[in-house]
Amino acid sequence: MVKGKFSQSVPASNLTRRGFLISMTSAGVAFGFPKTSNAAMNPAAADGVPITAVGDTFEPTIWYWVDTEGQVNVNIIRAEMGQHVGTAIARILADELDVAWENVHITLVDTAAKWGTMVTGGSWSVWQSWSIYRQAGAAGRVAFIDAAATKWGIDAADCTASNGTVTGGGNTITYGELVSEGLSRTFTADELKALPLKPHSELNLVGKDVKALDIATKTNGEAIYGLDAKVDGMVYGVPLLPPTRIGSSVVSIDDSEAQSVNGYQQTLQLEDPSGTVPGWVVVIGTTLMAAKWASEKIVVEWNVGETATVSEADIQQRSRALIADETAGSILDTGNTDTAPVFASAADMLEAEYTTATVLHFQLEPVNATAFQNEDGVWVIDTGNQWQSLCLPWLQKALNVDAGQVVMRTYLLGGGFGRRLNGDYTVPAALASKALGGKPVKLVLFREDDAKFDSPRSPSVQKLRMAFDADKKVIGMEQSAAAGWPTQVMIPAFMPKGTNGEPYDPFAISGADHWYTVGAQKVRALSNDLANKTFRPGWLRSVGPGWTNFALESFMDEAANKLGVDPVTFRLDHLIAEGRNAGSVPNAVGGASRQANVLKRVAELSDYKNADLPDDTGIGFATTFGQERDMPTWTATAVQLHVDRETGEVDVQKVWLVIDCGTVVDPGGAMAQGEGACLWGISMALYEGTEIENSNVRDRNLNTYTPLRMIDTPDLNIEFVDSTEAPTGMGEPGVTPMGPAIANAIFNAVGVRMRHLPIKPEAVLAALEPSADN
Amino acid sequence: MINLKINGRDVSLDIDPDTPLLWAIRDDIGLTGTKFGCGIGMCGACTVHVGGRATRSCITPLSAVDGAEITTIEGLDPNSNHPVQEAWRDLQVPQCGYCQSGQIMQAAALLKDIPDPSDDDIDAVMTGNLCRCMTYVRIRSAIRQAADGKKGVSTDG
Amino acid sequence: MFRSILLGSVVFGVIGFIGFLIYAHEPAIDPITQDNPQGFDPETVEKGRILAAAGYCSTCHTAEGGAPFAGNLPMATGFGTIYSTNITPDVETGIGAWSQVAFQRAMHEGVDREGQHLFPAFPYNHFTKMTDEDVDAIYAFIMTDVDPVPSVQKENGLPFPLNLRFLQAGWKLLFVDSGVYQADASESDAWNRGAYLVEGVTHCGACHTPRNALGAEREDDRFGGAEVEQWIAPALTAANPSPVPWTAAAFAEFIETGSAQLHGIAAGPMSPVVHAGLRELSEDDLNAIGVYLADQDGAHDSDAEVAEIVNASLAEGQPDKSYRMELGERLYATTCAACHYNVEQIVLGRPDLGINSATRFSEPDNLIHVILNGVTSPEGIPGVVMPSFRTAMSDEEVAAIAAYLRASRTDEAAWPELSQKVSTIRAEATASE
Repeated sequence: MVKGKFSQSVPASNLTRRGFLISMTSAGVAFGFPKTSNAAMNPAAADGVPITAVGDTFEPTIWYWVDTEGQVNVNIIRAEMGQHVGTAIARILADELDVAWENVHITLVDTAAKWGTMVTGGSWSVWQSWSIYRQAGAAGRVAFIDAAATKWGIDAADCTASNGTVTGGGNTITYGELVSEGLSRTFTADELKALPLKPHSELNLVGKDVKALDIATKTNGEAIYGLDAKVDGMVYGVPLLPPTRIGSSVVSIDDSEAQSVNGYQQTLQLEDPSGTVPGWVVVIGTTLMAAKWASEKIVVEWNVGETATVSEADIQQRSRALIADETAGSILDTGNTDTAPVFASAADMLEAEYTTATVLHFQLEPVNATAFQNEDGVWVIDTGNQWQSLCLPWLQKALNVDAGQVVMRTYLLGGGFGRRLNGDYTVPAALASKALGGKPVKLVLFREDDAKFDSPRSPSVQKLRMAFDADKKVIGMEQSAAAGWPTQVMIPAFMPKGTNGEPYDPFAISGADHWYTVGAQKVRALSNDLANKTFRPGWLRSVGPGWTNFALESFMDEAANKLGVDPVTFRLDHLIAEGRNAGSVPNAVGGASRQANVLKRVAELSDYKNADLPDDTGIGFATTFGQERDMPTWTATAVQLHVDRETGEVDVQKVWLVIDCGTVVDPGGAMAQGEGACLWGISMALYEGTEIENSNVRDRNLNTYTPLRMIDTPDLNIEFVDSTEAPTGMGEPGVTPMGPAIANAIFNAVGVRMRHLPIKPEAVLAALEPSADN
Repeated sequence: MINLKINGRDVSLDIDPDTPLLWAIRDDIGLTGTKFGCGIGMCGACTVHVGGRATRSCITPLSAVDGAEITTIEGLDPNSNHPVQEAWRDLQVPQCGYCQSGQIMQAAALLKDIPDPSDDDIDAVMTGNLCRCMTYVRIRSAIRQAADGKKGVSTDG
Repeated sequence: MFRSILLGSVVFGVIGFIGFLIYAHEPAIDPITQDNPQGFDPETVEKGRILAAAGYCSTCHTAEGGAPFAGNLPMATGFGTIYSTNITPDVETGIGAWSQVAFQRAMHEGVDREGQHLFPAFPYNHFTKMTDEDVDAIYAFIMTDVDPVPSVQKENGLPFPLNLRFLQAGWKLLFVDSGVYQADASESDAWNRGAYLVEGVTHCGACHTPRNALGAEREDDRFGGAEVEQWIAPALTAANPSPVPWTAAAFAEFIETGSAQLHGIAAGPMSPVVHAGLRELSEDDLNAIGVYLADQDGAHDSDAEVAEIVNASLAEGQPDKSYRMELGERLYATTCAACHYNVEQIVLGRPDLGINSATRFSEPDNLIHVILNGVTSPEGIPGVVMPSFRTAMSDEEVAAIAAYLRASRTDEAAWPELSQKVSTIRAEATASE
């Protein structure tokens, strides 16, 4: 019997008091990164450290090296955010180089200037890397063959390379042995372009199933994301966000109540020469929760920006006014854009307005960045980011340093979806560290702050018109789309000019310049200035094609319905591979005929004409070319759903999706992108969407923002077209046809036309009930 | 001082007892496999096992787990070969991977309580775990595969 | 509870008279002079330890963070705060100067060594049922195994005349049925043993029996359920709203482990009753309590009936794709179902909220408490926790979940003004911290 055994709380298990003490001060550096971090990482390694070469290396281009053991390290400039892009790109290279896949490793590189533009977005990664990495791989193969031929004194034409080994004249030698014997050869750009590439039939890795290199560490907790960054001596920062994204300034800060919070250090009023985060206040603590709890007790008074009371309705009204002004906007080059006389003489016409609400990225890892100045005086930013080349100049300006004085170390991204194309969240981390003399600061936005500071998908308004002649033939079409323009706000130099000399944001209008042959065609892009200054519009998985296709493909069904034609037939009648829709080499071979092909195939899979559907159940179609005309990924979908007339609830039951993205490099990865994108499209069509209220998004967390979950996931049937054409993008295209297909299916199920995304049950119900005014 | 056992290791923590278990695990104990998503228990990224039960660590104060035994993704299996992890790798479930520690911990707890779940059962238990990449189709398949694999072992054995 | 006890005192203040004062007088008992009496045989001490646990003495007689049994746990009342006494063997401030007889008088009559009447927050009305032998064992345990801790009782914050202890004598006269428990020959030994424990040392009625206007346990509604510290102490009678009857086995399981598979866990004020307490009793005693309590609620074991109820509840808990249509259901599906969903049978540690009493009481307090504050490791099933939604959900969101469960899983009437109730409980729990 031990005296004093009794206490209020009895530990449930017998703890040994030999357990070691962990306290604030004893938490050390977790991953062993030196303070001057080596700024590159391998997502397949538990510690993130790239492999080390054994002996000498042969480096025919900057994209990889081969060491004396035949290990291949491929340098990847793209961010890993779920697309397994490093694996896909390394496969492309390894295939041409002809090495065993198990010897291939990847390194996600830092932001050194030699890598050129670093961006991961637009579904461009594989498409842009295809030629470059094939040529790089071919360069190595040619160099190894030539070296072996020279060594054996035979003609290179008599040698072959396979699986990391050169064979010829009865001899064999491995790549590793050739590297050991000393090999150095570089190639000029012209030489690279002239290299012989394998014919499609000889590709061994491309198109074959593979276990992606970044999978294993994502199943055991070893994968390292930006939020996991740990630097010796770091403190934590939690922001207090100004009431408006732009134009607010701090009047006063009262942190007297926060003094009682253990671990609270100080509150920083950021001075931002780059203008990225005006009016920001960052609370510093020795722990994240200390900073967070302190931030809840700090009172900041701001001068508010002029957009303080702007609402979603204000922004949409502004878009309508812009559309109504015929002189406003940029006209895209769609051939004959002179639609006015066509509409003036039309026998009949159709017109409709479509709107979409603000959408959040809600990538699961809230934005964060860890910044510090290393021993060499270089500012290091540890973070997950999709467009380092966009963000670095902001950081340089904010820190007032030259290029080369800031380096970004790209961690794995806990979701990108375009949020991290805009690296605005790195700037306050850098400024906070600067204010503390270069001390490491880990800036974390809690979820509500992440949502409030999101660069959401802009709300949009679109007006579509179609002109028919007396024979009900389509003779003209117009699509005007007004929204906030991310490219104008963040990188205006990226904007091309329309036929009227006005610049436009291609990401906010792509999709409207479709492959249907419709006679005179005018596509007008309008920048909503009120949106642009209220919330910093963002690129969000598929961006404009998310709304342009909702309008276009809903409208195509409306037109077919008006004419009494089957909507699939109506589309096929206008997908004619002629003129500007004939397609082009290398990316858009086949043009409209390939879009027609995927549509036909999905119609066949759904068997919609023979489907015996229950009441209030319908199948709807939509087809798109993915993202951009010069990189089309042809998609077509059929969605079967049921509408509950009592509640307005839409139950998506089945989805068929057919995709033609040219050569499928990584079948499993492509399928994963197709699945995810398709569900994103459904989620944005039915379950997501928020509104701007008083200059900020209304929904900040999952209590009110409600993306698709497991139970909402319908039966998916996704098929890829077997193709040997150049690979195009896969990240976004699957998103684009879902919204309109759902709207069209609702129409087919219960006869009501939904012209706003998201389609909420209340709206369906309202549409189903005869208006009280009638 | 809060005493607990994590992945079989005794730990004493001398930090604010109101600190959410999640941040104690990540920042003080140094195990970063458990993730922060929403902070309100509605995404599941922070799921760990407390006393063998799936628990949202972001809204569990450290004071509540005094004396408890905790397992994180790092401790689910010494060789990362829990049947759920194997199925996850086999079917290549993760995309960005950020939610997957939580998904795996939730799935492991699900299979412990409901060894042969139907799709409805999987939906009911896993709907609390948000996957923003929307890998749901594969999560469902992987859970079924892990369940079948486990069944196989028990009938063979 | 304390509020009504004190109200009773007021009434007596008003009707007080001289004779009563004479009646109320109790003599002091001389202090014992030696330091802590020793020499109790170890068996008696061990028996006393178990009984002190079964009476969860330390729960009330220990302040948060304070030394065990040293008193000063504040008990908030509507009139002021009273503090528990120091019952360690400290001579100056504890009960070190108390003789065995003085201790017996306190336990049986509610009078301290100096002759002062004790407030009935101390449940001597139950301890009076205990045998001298058992009371002496507790005395032996305290004197032998509890460390003496000097700790002066804080002054009770009671206004006049509530602070007049002699008034308590009248209350006793009316409401305390003094005397050791008498066995009922018509019942089994187990039943009688259970009754002896329940009516005596474990003083279940102190919380589970509602009190009259004068703060006394109502004889006409024994174990009828009552509100304690903003929690519901459920009825232990047929009035208990649990659709699955509380059987003898379920009671025994619950008080031994802190959890009953078909019912739920011991949370809130019940948690220490089990964990600092009842579970120390022998298997036979736990079963005996089960037998006695099951007789109170009239439960009989009927597996078929139970299975039917459970299956019906499980069916109602099936996932529904329409979960988004209503806030409470959506929040439940996305935050609660991961742990509270069951398939063919209810897994221990996955409480089924459709048959849990918390969703069925006339008041939502227990459900709200648990949602807001969760369940900590020492509560319920030791080492298993439920998160706290205090910082995660608004009053409206907590209310929506409670309302959803009430509407979808029970046939009970909707709880009125739920959101306000959540707000009140949230504020009180914060204030008491």
